[in-house]
Amino acid sequence: MSKKNLAIIGIGEVPTGTYPNRSRWDIIYETCIAAVRDAGIDKNDVEGVVTVAPQAQPQISAEISFGKIPEELGLKGCREVCICNAGGASTSNCLRLAEQYIESGQAKIVLIPHVTVHSTIPMPDLINFFAKAGIDLQWEYPYGTTYNGIIAMMTRRYMHDSGTTEEEMASVVVSLRKWAAMDENSIFYGKEVPPVEKILSSGMVSSPLHKRECNVLADGGGAMVVASAEIAKKMGVPAAYKLGESSRYFSAFTTTRTNEELTNGYRDATGEALADAGVSKEDINLWNVYLAYPVGHTMFMEAAGLCEPGQAGKVFMEGHTWPGGKMPWATIGDATGRGHTGSGVSMATYIETARQMMGKAGERQVPDAKYAFQNTAGGSGMNFIATVWGRE
Amino acid sequence: MTQTQRPIPVMQPWTRDFWKATKQGKLLIQHCDNCNSNIFFPKKVCPECWSDHLDWQEASGKATVYTFTTMLDMVEPKFMGDLPYVIAMVDLKEGIRMTTRIVNCNPDDVEIGMNVEVVFEEVSPECSLPMFQPADETLRLASPDSEDGEAVAAESETGMSPDAYQTIIYEIGGNNDAVCTITLNRPDKYNAINRRMAAELIDAFRRVRDEASVGVVVLAGAGEKAFCTGGDLEIFPSLAEHQNSLNWLSHEGLDVQRAISSCEKVVICKINGHCLAGGLEVALACDLLYVKESAKMGTTEINMGVLPGWGGTARLPRSMPIFRAREIIFSGRKDYTAREMYDMGLLTRVFKDDEFEAQFEKVVNNIASKKPVALRMGKEIMARSADGCDMETALAVERNGIQWLTYAPDIQKMMDQFRAAPDQLTQSQKKSNIASDAT
Repeated sequence: MSKKNLAIIGIGEVPTGTYPNRSRWDIIYETCIAAVRDAGIDKNDVEGVVTVAPQAQPQISAEISFGKIPEELGLKGCREVCICNAGGASTSNCLRLAEQYIESGQAKIVLIPHVTVHSTIPMPDLINFFAKAGIDLQWEYPYGTTYNGIIAMMTRRYMHDSGTTEEEMASVVVSLRKWAAMDENSIFYGKEVPPVEKILSSGMVSSPLHKRECNVLADGGGAMVVASAEIAKKMGVPAAYKLGESSRYFSAFTTTRTNEELTNGYRDATGEALADAGVSKEDINLWNVYLAYPVGHTMFMEAAGLCEPGQAGKVFMEGHTWPGGKMPWATIGDATGRGHTGSGVSMATYIETARQMMGKAGERQVPDAKYAFQNTAGGSGMNFIATVWGRE
Repeated sequence: MTQTQRPIPVMQPWTRDFWKATKQGKLLIQHCDNCNSNIFFPKKVCPECWSDHLDWQEASGKATVYTFTTMLDMVEPKFMGDLPYVIAMVDLKEGIRMTTRIVNCNPDDVEIGMNVEVVFEEVSPECSLPMFQPADETLRLASPDSEDGEAVAAESETGMSPDAYQTIIYEIGGNNDAVCTITLNRPDKYNAINRRMAAELIDAFRRVRDEASVGVVVLAGAGEKAFCTGGDLEIFPSLAEHQNSLNWLSHEGLDVQRAISSCEKVVICKINGHCLAGGLEVALACDLLYVKESAKMGTTEINMGVLPGWGGTARLPRSMPIFRAREIIFSGRKDYTAREMYDMGLLTRVFKDDEFEAQFEKVVNNIASKKPVALRMGKEIMARSADGCDMETALAVERNGIQWLTYAPDIQKMMDQFRAAPDQLTQSQKKSNIASDAT
């Protein structure tokens, strides 16, 4: 079995949405207290705090970098504090840092918070950040490239190579929104799930990408409490155990990577993470994929060998990934369904993985979920981190 | 394409030669003399072997499209003026892949695998951006220096035809195809006008001039909520830049009004729901305003500290008594009822909600049954007269216009008949008078 020694034992989250009156520190208090209480520990048991770097929010990033969270929350037992930034892959790296603290004996219990409030960032700053992050200022940006634009190009090439139709691409959104509609922390909670026709009738943003295939920026936050596997077992609380992991780095920019490089990386890292966990892809009960746009989901499904090449769109269209389907998929609906909270979607996805392994996912609970696969990716798709989690 | 606001590439010391060469129309590729690889993006040392023996080789400039997207929405203000534009990744013959724009062609003609070649577009005195145009000359737009190139380029820059309109619907119908209906079609956005819609309206009103059978254009809004509520809020962030704001007023704004007011057809505005701000200003450029009783109207610009800038501040006082026009502009009210506006002297007619469609259709059918050439002349004579020339001039324009009409070919065709049988003229005139009264 796995050599990994990490378990998520507590989770806390606030709903994702537009809440300009909810301050960043409000969110940190609320999510951290919820996670500590969920773990059933005392606040002073937290010996390390590793925070997911908020994107485009320099003030709070600086405050967190300089150690304000343990002081603010009165974590008297805290010995280690740091912030970690790898864009959307930050949370994976926070977990690894926590693992290292635990392994080296510096901390037995580590708190991992994240916060993002987009709605109070002045529009020019927001545009400035998201137009230029992950897009090269010399070779891409001057042409008027945007995030939606680079993903649109990726999507067109994928559709061209695989023969996937626009209806099939829109079906990915349908699947994500079905889960999101059942997730009380989603921006689309309780909202009507748009059918394929409605998605395709939304305005074209960057062809072939429609408005409803793009992400809505939102505010949100979450926190996890992690400990060694032994401590989790000894405490006897429901927990998600990390079983396997592997990763690939591709390139900082989309111009300098091909779809083939991506899919090869997805395939290899996934295979290695499964092998590391000592399970096969057939053992996985939940594919908790975070790739931010529909095209990532189809490319990954094919790369991981979960369907025949070029058939992923059909799998989404036929409902196999929907609630009740044979392949539960991205059960918070990824950024498209949840709302995009910068580096926070990776946190929300880990919290969901933990929730599913803990059996706390309510309406969305995948029955008898024993193993979950989860990935993260950062920047404009710079890397891919594959992890496997189990309930024991 | 606007060149002044485009961002300049952020150069590194080792890329300056690349950009310098763009000014001579050369596309350079960085080459490693040690391991013989071509490098993109250019680096300080070779990313394959870390050699610093790097030099530049001139590329053939030939490439094929690997993938592309037509950018239509959600771009930074500085690029909004360029919409729609095509971003692409192209594979150069020399084995490197660049992000670029595909220019000088209709976005609909771009496809994966298409052969393209480099052209340079200036962004600053120091550098030009390498962009690509179709290798196939028949796919290119007419070159700007050819005789009628300007006009062709301006037409096709929008890449528009009624089939490709995204924000309006353009339909020709009615008896003898005499009515063209142009419907603002963003009902979930209260038919607000974005850049695309402005461009499509300009295109549509210019296009309808060439429809010989059409005498009447109906301008309507889709859905029940609104005729139009003016400029789309999504435009507003872009107006923070002076140049963009000025262009929105003087390019899109002025051109939309001009396209409507200089359209030689009679433009009948059909107003239901909200008709506010720029929406009302567009209506003011029309010839006749028929309004559903439940409609709400007004100009709200002053609430933001500005004034109606799409002709409203100039046209309202010319469209109604000035003391009433001032109230509309200064109050910023958006809840004027149709009856109120009518009583204040603005509208042509107000119809009760349940009778609106039927009554409106009657009016349109009646006017559309008139000869297009007479409507056109009438529109022009009244416009000149209302613009405030002296009475003698106005009468001369009228007299000569009508004399011209009388000798217009299709009237003369009738005249030939009447010359042969003089009392047919009075009988037939009586008949058409009666028919017109009955509708």
